[in-house]
Amino acid sequence: MNNAGTSGGPVIVAKDLRKRYDDIQAVDGVSFEVYRGEVFGMLGPNGAGKTTTVEILEGMRDPDSGVALIDGIDVTREPMRVKKIIGVQLQANAFFDRLTLSELLKLFGTLYGHSVSSQDLLDRVDLGERGKSQFKTLSGGQKQRFSIAAALVNEPAVMFLDEPSSGLDPQARRNMWELIKGLQADGTTVMLTTHYMEEAEELCDRVAIVDSGRIVALDTPLALVDGLLETGFRNERPTREATLEDVFISMTGRALRDE
Amino acid sequence: MRIALSLTVASLKMYFRNRQAIFFSLFIPFLIMVIFGLLDFDRFSGADVGIVDQAQNEASAAIILQLTDRTDELVDVELGSLGKETERITDGEIDAMFVIPAGFAEPGGPVTVSATTDERSPQRAALAVALLDQILGDLERQAASTPDVTDSSVTKGPAKFGTISLSTLEGDDRSYTAFLVPGIVAMSIMQLGIFGVVFALVQYRQQGVLRRLKAAPVNPAQFLFAQISTRLSISVFQTLILLLVGMILFDLAVGDGDVVSWLLVIALALFGGILFVTMGLAISGVARTEEVAAPVTNLVSMPMMFLSGVFFPLDALPGVVTIVTQFLPLTFLADAMRAVVTDGSGITDIWGELAGLAAWSAIVFAAATRLFRWE
Repeated sequence: MNNAGTSGGPVIVAKDLRKRYDDIQAVDGVSFEVYRGEVFGMLGPNGAGKTTTVEILEGMRDPDSGVALIDGIDVTREPMRVKKIIGVQLQANAFFDRLTLSELLKLFGTLYGHSVSSQDLLDRVDLGERGKSQFKTLSGGQKQRFSIAAALVNEPAVMFLDEPSSGLDPQARRNMWELIKGLQADGTTVMLTTHYMEEAEELCDRVAIVDSGRIVALDTPLALVDGLLETGFRNERPTREATLEDVFISMTGRALRDE
Repeated sequence: MRIALSLTVASLKMYFRNRQAIFFSLFIPFLIMVIFGLLDFDRFSGADVGIVDQAQNEASAAIILQLTDRTDELVDVELGSLGKETERITDGEIDAMFVIPAGFAEPGGPVTVSATTDERSPQRAALAVALLDQILGDLERQAASTPDVTDSSVTKGPAKFGTISLSTLEGDDRSYTAFLVPGIVAMSIMQLGIFGVVFALVQYRQQGVLRRLKAAPVNPAQFLFAQISTRLSISVFQTLILLLVGMILFDLAVGDGDVVSWLLVIALALFGGILFVTMGLAISGVARTEEVAAPVTNLVSMPMMFLSGVFFPLDALPGVVTIVTQFLPLTFLADAMRAVVTDGSGITDIWGELAGLAAWSAIVFAAATRLFRWE
């Protein structure tokens, strides 16, 4: 179904990546591996170096040093080969004006050398009815979902999602989560960045916490929480069985509002 | 190649769905053409007259003196032989030719000045003839009011100082609109190339469309090829539309109306298109936001618009200025377009302009490859 190879090794390898912009060391020796079928999260405050790391792996930006491999292919040496087998959703998504969603998907299919059924792709992201709409007329959640559809035109082995749910309301965010779980169920490896902790807990098999261009922790969400508790950390707020978001969802429902 | 082709098709779709862009690239030149065509600047300039003086007598000297006296007004007079002046009027260098026959106004001699006017510049020619008529009238009155008392042959003096026998010379269309329309077409090719490309790219860059394309397996050459081929298609389309408008509104003839002339027009639309699209790509490398793009594109295109002989002939400019302006990219394109459309020139007649365009394309291409950036 997708481009995933048959090897059992890591599908994403980052080895001591470094990137400097003028006087800021954006990425300062980042190393990790992501395994096939995993959802891997990169957490961190703004400016921690998440996006730069992802852009290096996507072949959008050359690192100053270090090695980035996707499915065994060196990203710096063969960026075109890598771009062909990955799906990319950028933080700020933009598509040509004056083309319909169907036309955009067909165009992107050609860019990747795939002939695609735009209807199938739109159905996959709940935009089946909007094939004749233009991107700029979509709501925030719909734009994010469409950019995932555009990232799926080449049936990628690895999907990079840069802050996929930022700016979305709780309903749209939950819808996005279902979509990402669907990608994983289809066998796609997903690497995402976020600064929503509940999103990381909900979706990610493992997370890396990044600060000032370095990975400060890397494990499963559960193990990271357990580790913190072992240090004697106690939450000062009383733990409750529900959160304010649960209240919000129970009162406003799960149905998407952006249609 | 498939990638470049599908990007081209997509850009063309985007262009033709962009009513505003079509409005600006077609309607504005159309409007300029109509306004300037109706104004007809030609009317305001003086007439050039060639005089062939075969009489070489007092009467002819008086006429020439009167005509040259009015040089500061509306005529520019030059004397020459019949052969030379005939050639000049045929070439459209002068608007009227007056031949004063031998023995003019002498007893028994002819009293008719023959005036040949160029139908291609009817207003200026008519002005010159009217002036001649006035002068002949003045001289006649003068002769009548100052009878020569010492000369008994006063009754033998010229009963009539002169009349004018008119004839018109037909030739290629030399009207102002025939001059203007090919210039406007050339200017539109420039505007489309520079403005179209710069603003499309600035917009793509600011929206992040270029970044999204960079994430896809598309190399810059494919994207740039698509940009250029899209604009060239539009350039040809626009050129043909504007020429058709000129044909309908101003009775313009494209060359001799043959296929070769039309093919040359299309070739020039492509050749000029390449030059100015590449210039747009170079500018878009420097002007990265809309705020900068607007003044920079105007800075580049405005001088060419007014100094490349689009609206008025270059020889109307001071000589020192034309040393520079004759080498402007738009001058080459406008001159070549005018030669093909108005004079029906073939490719061998415009090789100089083509060489100029090629040289500029090489310069601009080198600049574009250094200046263009994805982000």
